[in-house]
Amino acid sequence: MDKHTLPPVVTFSTDELSFWDKHRLSLLLIITVAIAIVMTSISIVMYNSSGAAQLDLSRPGYRSVSGKIDENNAIDTYSATGEVNKNTIEEFMKLYDAQATKAKAVDAFNGDPLNPEVLEFGAPANE
Amino acid sequence: MRRIFFVAIFSLLSIGLLVSLGGSSARAEDLTPDQTAQVKANCVSIKNSLSQLHASDALLRVNRGQVYEAMASKLMDNFNSRLALNSLDNKAMTTVTSSYRNALNNFRVNYIAYEQKVSAAIRIDCSSQPNSFHNTVQEARKLRATVHSDVLKLHRIIDDYRSSVGDFLLNYERLSE
Repeated sequence: MDKHTLPPVVTFSTDELSFWDKHRLSLLLIITVAIAIVMTSISIVMYNSSGAAQLDLSRPGYRSVSGKIDENNAIDTYSATGEVNKNTIEEFMKLYDAQATKAKAVDAFNGDPLNPEVLEFGAPANE
Repeated sequence: MRRIFFVAIFSLLSIGLLVSLGGSSARAEDLTPDQTAQVKANCVSIKNSLSQLHASDALLRVNRGQVYEAMASKLMDNFNSRLALNSLDNKAMTTVTSSYRNALNNFRVNYIAYEQKVSAAIRIDCSSQPNSFHNTVQEARKLRATVHSDVLKLHRIIDDYRSSVGDFLLNYERLSE
């Protein structure tokens, strides 16, 4: 073979490319956006169904109470390790009584504010 | 074949119409015309009261939830573990703790249902759909009562755990003598 012979040149024509080859970038963008939409939808469903939404006081409807979270309700931790004797049990009971009093101090969700006679058919507050 | 298809479609439409008419007539009986007029007239103030309740209940849920959660995770679980590590019988306490966890879970689940129902009521336009609004508020009312009963149950179990620890101490003292 003659050493001066050039190798054959391979040329591609755009006509030979398939539809997906031509629109690879568009396809990438569409798939990316679709994945983002799916993941965001799953996140929103989880946020609403898990109870996180109910605890999120930064939501628009809760702004009036978002600064009123009680910081003084922190409960002291009892150590899970150590010996058990009369003194340690009594120490636990003392701690437990104090925290139980805090826990039971509020009869939460009592009353009947959604009673139609109060909420719907009662006289409006501004009258 | 085509006749069967049309008969099936007609049957489905008829059933749907009957169900919707039956449902709407049942709902329409809930409010008298006077009550409907009252709800429509006071719609804005009712919505405001409902929104305030929605927000204050959310704050209550956060504050109470923290305390109830901490009772289990910082006190009950730790005391049970300490007894177990010392090879002492903690069966009574673990049983009560398990009940407490179940009650706490019910409290969480029932509060979610209640909050979602109140949110649904807030979204309803009571000036144009007073019956639908009233029914949703009544459902929320029932759910709120359920949440309150969950709270009372939690309080009872907190007392039960204290009694169990008291009994344990008595037994411990008796065996130590």
